[in-house]
Amino acid sequence: MKGMKFLKVSVLSVFLASALGLAASAQAGVAEGKKAFETKKCAGCHQAQGPAKEKTIQDQLAKKGPELWYAGSKFQPGFLEGWLKDPKPIRPMEYYSLTKKNTGSHQKLSAQEAADVAAYLMSLKSADVKVAIQPRDNPKGRAIFIKKQSCYGCHEVKVRGNAAGGVTGPSLASAATRLQADWIYAYLSNPKVFKPVKDMPNYDGILTDAELKDLAAYVGSLN
Amino acid sequence: MIKTSKKGIVTAITLAGVLLLNVSGAMAATAEENYKFYCAQCHGLQGRGDGPNALPSMPVSPRDHTSAPEMNKLTDDDIMNAIADGGPATSKSSLMPPFGKTLSKSEIVALKDHLRKLCNCKGKGK
Ligand code: HEC
Ligand code: HEC
Ligand code: HEC
Repeated sequence: MKGMKFLKVSVLSVFLASALGLAASAQAGVAEGKKAFETKKCAGCHQAQGPAKEKTIQDQLAKKGPELWYAGSKFQPGFLEGWLKDPKPIRPMEYYSLTKKNTGSHQKLSAQEAADVAAYLMSLKSADVKVAIQPRDNPKGRAIFIKKQSCYGCHEVKVRGNAAGGVTGPSLASAATRLQADWIYAYLSNPKVFKPVKDMPNYDGILTDAELKDLAAYVGSLN
Repeated sequence: MIKTSKKGIVTAITLAGVLLLNVSGAMAATAEENYKFYCAQCHGLQGRGDGPNALPSMPVSPRDHTSAPEMNKLTDDDIMNAIADGGPATSKSSLMPPFGKTLSKSEIVALKDHLRKLCNCKGKGK
């Protein structure tokens, strides 16, 4: 009898402890993540504060990694935590290299660090992502991506389960689980704010606003 | 009291010139720089049409800019139209992207001159 009661109490306390632990790790985050970002010198390769700094090709070539100052507007919730624990190549080539393949050697974080850093990065929002875009496969967006502008010339997508397409842009093969469609539209329609100098051409003024919206919805649905 | 010496004016003009030079120098890149940054990913660093995006699975290959027979089929205007508006401007594939909203008019002219050096050819009708 006494033993039974003891068991109940200990089960309860284990349950309580894990519930508390869960609450603690869900809350841990922004401040801890910011600290980890600093101590691990992530900023040596990633710009974490806007606005965009690159003005010339030299400025861009001096960068060692993609900007994260609008990460909270760019990435799907959940993507960053998983990626930081197990960073698989996003760009098929090393950052801005024309010769070296990306071997996936990005720094890995522990589960707790990844959760904290992801919470911090998701707190970095851009006020220039204003228009809501619903991700959806749509014939107009698809036609622009595949025929009218051949975006696949530089971006990988999945064709019948296999990766196909160019290698100098970030892979868009699973854009639906990585990128927010709202941000894709903002990036395409407002390159001056998000990425003034890059080796992808500007399409604002070449495609109409309606076309950019269909295109962003289509890219945001790629999986 | 305004009293400007000749020397002062000359200095001011020189200064203004240096500033102007710096402003344009900081923004516009040379044709070589632009080619390496934007074009080489498909056309290759030497312009032979063999950049990392020139994959066998692509429906058409990037133009070999060192080939005089190929580049002689194009007028200077054809080249500049293709760069500004993409392949469809010269009835070619849209795999050749439009750079008209990325590069300035003068940068596109300079790239055309650069391509004429690469092919060592003058173009259609010349
Ligand atoms: C030596 C430079 C370097 C350091 C240090 C570095 N990164 Fe990166 N990071 C990169 C590069 C290069 C990529 C692109 C990788 C790819 O495309 O696969 C990248 C990609 C990322 C991405 C995905 C961004 C995107 O747009 O694809 C995130 C998030 C990220 N890094 C976070 C971090 C964090 C957090 C740290 C510190 C713990 C860190 N990085 C340290 C170079 C670096
Ligand atoms: C000439 C090659 C090229 C073409 C053509 C091209 N892109 Fe890109 N794209 C890139 C590169 C390179 C980047 C990464 C730029 C950077 O972060 O510095 C990029 C970035 C992007 C991004 C952001 C991805 C990310 O994870 O940061 C999106 C979305 C995108 N491109 C969509 C498109 C669409 C849609 C088209 C067609 C209208 C297109 N691209 C055509 C090379 C290209
Ligand atoms: C995404 C890959 C890609 C990029 C980036 C690219 N090109 Fe091309 N380019 C092509 C392809 C593919 C063709 C061949 C099109 C065809 O034959 O239908 C081509 C053709 C051309 C042609 C010949 C057009 C004609 O009518 O025959 C010129 C000139 C040219 N490119 C110049 C450039 C310049 C200059 C740049 C850089 C500013 C550049 N290209 C960037 C892929 C690219």
